[in-house]
Amino acid sequence: MAAVRGTLLKHLRVNATPLPLLRNPKTFPNGLFNLTFNAVRCFSDVVMGSFLDKSEVTDRVVSVVKNFQKVDPSKVIPNAHFQKDLGLDSLDTVEVVMALEEEFGFEIPDNEAEKISTINHAVEFIASHPQAK
Amino acid sequence: MAVPGAVVPMRIEVLHLYRTLLRVGRQFSDYNIGEYSKRRTMDAFRDNKNLTDTRLLSAAFSDGKAQLEVAKKQAIVYSLYAPKVKSILDF
Repeated sequence: MAAVRGTLLKHLRVNATPLPLLRNPKTFPNGLFNLTFNAVRCFSDVVMGSFLDKSEVTDRVVSVVKNFQKVDPSKVIPNAHFQKDLGLDSLDTVEVVMALEEEFGFEIPDNEAEKISTINHAVEFIASHPQAK
Repeated sequence: MAVPGAVVPMRIEVLHLYRTLLRVGRQFSDYNIGEYSKRRTMDAFRDNKNLTDTRLLSAAFSDGKAQLEVAKKQAIVYSLYAPKVKSILDF
C-alpha cells in the first residue's frame, strides 16, 4: 500500500530539488569541485534516485511507530526517544528499525541502525538516503 | 579456568545476531516459515534477556548462531520451491 503510494507520488512529483552542496563533500580543488559536482548531477536521476520530502517521511515514520504493538500511540511525537520516552528496550528498537526498513523499502546497515534512537534521527537518516522509496 | 568456546558475547553482537535473524526471517518465500522464524527469534531473545551467567549466555549465543546458519540454508531451499502466488496474508 505504501509502496504503491510512493510509486504514484514519484511519478506525479517533479524532481526539482537541488542537492545541497554539503551532501557531497568531495575534496577537490575549488575550480574542479563545481565541475565534478555538476557532472555527477547530469547522470544522477537514474543512478542516485530522489530524496523523499521530510514532512512525508516524518508522517510515515510516526505512523509506523504508532502501529508498533508495544508503543502507546498517544506518546508518539517526532521528538520521542524509543527507549527513554516510549519505554522500548534495545530488542524493540531493532524491531522498529526493521519495520522502518520495510516501510521505506531499503536496507539500513547495522552500524547506522545502531545509532537510530529517536524518531527525529530516523527521519533525518531516511530523508538523506536516496534509496528510500 | 577458561572453558573453551565460552566467549561471552558483547551487547552489540547480540543485537547484530538479532537483526540478522530477523532479516533471514524476512527473506523466506514461504510466509508461514518466515513468520515462525521471526516470532521464534523474538521469543527466544526475550526469554534470555536477563541472563547473567556467562556459561548460559555464551551457550545461548552460540545456539543462536547455529540457528542462523540453519535458517540461511532453509531460506535458500524454500526459495527453490516457492509458491507461484503469494499467500493472502502476505500483503
